[in-house]
Amino acid sequence: MFDHRIYEQIERYLAGTLPAEEKAAFEALLLSDPRLADQVQEHRQVLQAMQHYGQRQQLRHKLNSIHTEMETGSRAITSELTAWKVFFKKHAQTMAVAASVSLLSVFGTLWSVQQMKKPVQQQTARYIELRREVEKIKKEQRAIINGIASADTPAPAPRSARFSGTGFAISPDGYIVTSSHVIQGADSILIENKAGLKYKVTEVHRNTDYDLTILKVEDPSFAGFGKLPYTFKTASSDLGERVYTLGFPREDIVFGEGSLSSASGFEGDTTSYQISIPLNPGNSGGPLLDDKGNVIGVINGKQAGQEGAAFAVKSSYLLQMVTEMKERENGLTVSLPQQNNLSGTSRTQQLKKLQDYIFVVKVYN
Amino acid sequence: MRKSLYETDEAIMEGIRNDDDRALAHLYKLHFPMISHFIISNSGTDDEAKDIYQEGVIVFYEKIKGNSLELSCQIKTYLYSVCRRLWLKRLAEKGRYANRIEDSENYLSLEEDVPQHEENERQFGVMAEALDQLGEPCRSLLEDFYIRAQGMQDIVEKFGYTNTDTAKNQKYKCLQRLKKLFFTSYKPEV
Repeated sequence: MFDHRIYEQIERYLAGTLPAEEKAAFEALLLSDPRLADQVQEHRQVLQAMQHYGQRQQLRHKLNSIHTEMETGSRAITSELTAWKVFFKKHAQTMAVAASVSLLSVFGTLWSVQQMKKPVQQQTARYIELRREVEKIKKEQRAIINGIASADTPAPAPRSARFSGTGFAISPDGYIVTSSHVIQGADSILIENKAGLKYKVTEVHRNTDYDLTILKVEDPSFAGFGKLPYTFKTASSDLGERVYTLGFPREDIVFGEGSLSSASGFEGDTTSYQISIPLNPGNSGGPLLDDKGNVIGVINGKQAGQEGAAFAVKSSYLLQMVTEMKERENGLTVSLPQQNNLSGTSRTQQLKKLQDYIFVVKVYN
Repeated sequence: MRKSLYETDEAIMEGIRNDDDRALAHLYKLHFPMISHFIISNSGTDDEAKDIYQEGVIVFYEKIKGNSLELSCQIKTYLYSVCRRLWLKRLAEKGRYANRIEDSENYLSLEEDVPQHEENERQFGVMAEALDQLGEPCRSLLEDFYIRAQGMQDIVEKFGYTNTDTAKNQKYKCLQRLKKLFFTSYKPEV
């Protein structure tokens, strides 16, 4: 039934080389004859398998020859490397865990040590001296002034003060006291009171232990402050006494009131009082007065992070410093005021009398 | 052979697509140490390593030739994955189960590629057997004609037939027998 001619036809059909009309006839025959269709199917499979087999053999042969070629060449350099890789793969997880644990413990320890240190820090380094840095504000002001006066040629603006604090007169002949830290590093110092009187002053005597400095007016036109209305208290004041201060935490004079809350200052410093007056940078060097108008101290700092804990150097130390100055600076005498005009008057009256003797201390450097 | 020619995976694949034997050789040599180390450190021998590796390369080669390879990783990883799977199967056939495989690389699971390859292997096994049983000169005749694609005229001269018709008749008979042998033991999975 099937002979090689039919096989040939099948092969040509499968290869697609049959002419069109013969192909059509063959396909018609395929449809009508299922046995022939099976034959064609089988034929195709066998041929494909055989061809694939052939290709595979060839490929194997090729690979074998590559392999022998490779084996004759160098080998086994990489085995050590891969052994290491196996080791790494095996222990990678363990290593990762170990590394992260050690990292965690290192940073955890660092962090907790930091945490333990914190409260200690809070107690020590939190003393704030109340001198005020003014440059920034002044510059802004100058910018505004320049803006207004831009029509005419702007004169070189006077150099603005770098720091400011407060000071007050201790004698009619031109002696002023302020905190040492206010005038620290100063080139020149100017004082100015609320009435607008301006004087150039120089440092006469300084005591950094008490944080006090005495200044003297240098102006040739200076004719004296006039009679001072307050006196200086030599004895210690009592706890709970109502006290107040005047100072320049900003451009205008500011009144602050509170009470004397402790007879010792920061960390048990016996040269100072602790007072409960809200203070700001710029208040340093201001007078601390009691109800009767006695100067009982000089404001110099406060404790950060603690409500209402400000400090003032006791007036007895100021007086002690004045006598010390007399010995040191060739018998220089300061005639301290002896008569108090403030006691018995109301607070507002006291302030009116006082404010001419309170100065803003401007420090240039 | 300039090595830099096949430095990237793409270059190697392109070379194989273009029937460049040097690309194949380069690929073969490049990754053999990795597989050989894997097989040997997982209770195999040198020869088994060679066997498995060649099978792996063949899977890869045929995939590329058939343009059915969508490589989502390096060739190295692919080869490693294929060989790993083949080796696990081989171990299972030997009745030994590797409870802990020492890997030096990452690998893919390759759900489809390997089973298809195994099916092909089975087919080739049957074909090889059938051809063996066929005997000479039928085997050479069919191989010459179908595999080496020699012309009828050459075959007539080589085998000493009187004319092409005799040769064709002989070929027909041989093919008939081969078909019988092949299909008795091979049932394609539907």
